[in-house]
Amino acid sequence: MKTFLFIVIVLISGAFAGLIHGTVNFAIVEPYLDQVIGIENQNLFASGEEKDTPEFWVEYEGYRIWQKSGQMLAGVILGTSIGALFGIVFALSRNSLPGNNDVKKALVLAGIMWFTMFVIPFLKYPANPPTVGDPETVVLRSILYLSFITISGFGVVGFYKLSQKFQNKRKLVPIIGYGIFISVVFFVMPENPDEITAPIDWVNEFRIMSFLGVTSFWVSIGVILGFFWNRFSPNKETTQSYN
Amino acid sequence: MSETRQINVSKTGVSKLAIVVLAIIFAAGLFLVGFDQGHIFSLVYGEQAFEDLYIHELTHDMRHAAGFPCH
Repeated sequence: MKTFLFIVIVLISGAFAGLIHGTVNFAIVEPYLDQVIGIENQNLFASGEEKDTPEFWVEYEGYRIWQKSGQMLAGVILGTSIGALFGIVFALSRNSLPGNNDVKKALVLAGIMWFTMFVIPFLKYPANPPTVGDPETVVLRSILYLSFITISGFGVVGFYKLSQKFQNKRKLVPIIGYGIFISVVFFVMPENPDEITAPIDWVNEFRIMSFLGVTSFWVSIGVILGFFWNRFSPNKETTQSYN
Repeated sequence: MSETRQINVSKTGVSKLAIVVLAIIFAAGLFLVGFDQGHIFSLVYGEQAFEDLYIHELTHDMRHAAGFPCH
């Protein structure tokens, strides 16, 4: 394997997919964030925690610009990070993935990772806009969210490995096994402890946009890494000669 | 008369170095965007970093949009 080339195409793929994710978010999620943060501000004024003064709005505009400008940058960083994991898994599983070219193989893997590491955790712990969430519970919620993703991801790998020991029904074993396993985990894991205080319609619309944004990342990473892999073949063997 | 033998060793496996490098990038990036609450800058600025939350605010919108618990 060409190590340097492999690392480079994985990181570039992740960064591009992350940039697309950030751009999609900027277009479809930001308007909801602005609306919900507007409600948050009204709540602050109503509770007396803040006063509706020009100074407040100057400070508010300052940090909202900082937050919005970070959307793209954070997209690239997160994309590079998740892309690195995707690259590792793709390199290790490529020979087992269905498809007659690397784009199809990468899209199959992206679909599996999207479903097990995003969709299933999202059903249990969906994205929430800024007004939802008690700062006191953020550590607990982070642990629950990360744990569920980790359990789900390792669950798939475990049942895939287990299925290789079976002569027959190799495809059914991981699907049924993972389905039962993750269903149990889904009901055993604690619920998000925070109440939803924002209007539920807005929260649901925000969640749909969030879902579309993350989905755009997984489609992009599959297409881009698959294309680069087809083009540069980092897996082609390197030969060392000894005299 | 001397004889030269050539042995070719083919390497087709996944580079362990690449896996280590990518795993570090994965963990660092995920922490930075998803979970930092001032921890990284606290290495330089101390406790003040937990008040300023520069990285938290910079990644705030992506954190919410990507489904991470934020605050």
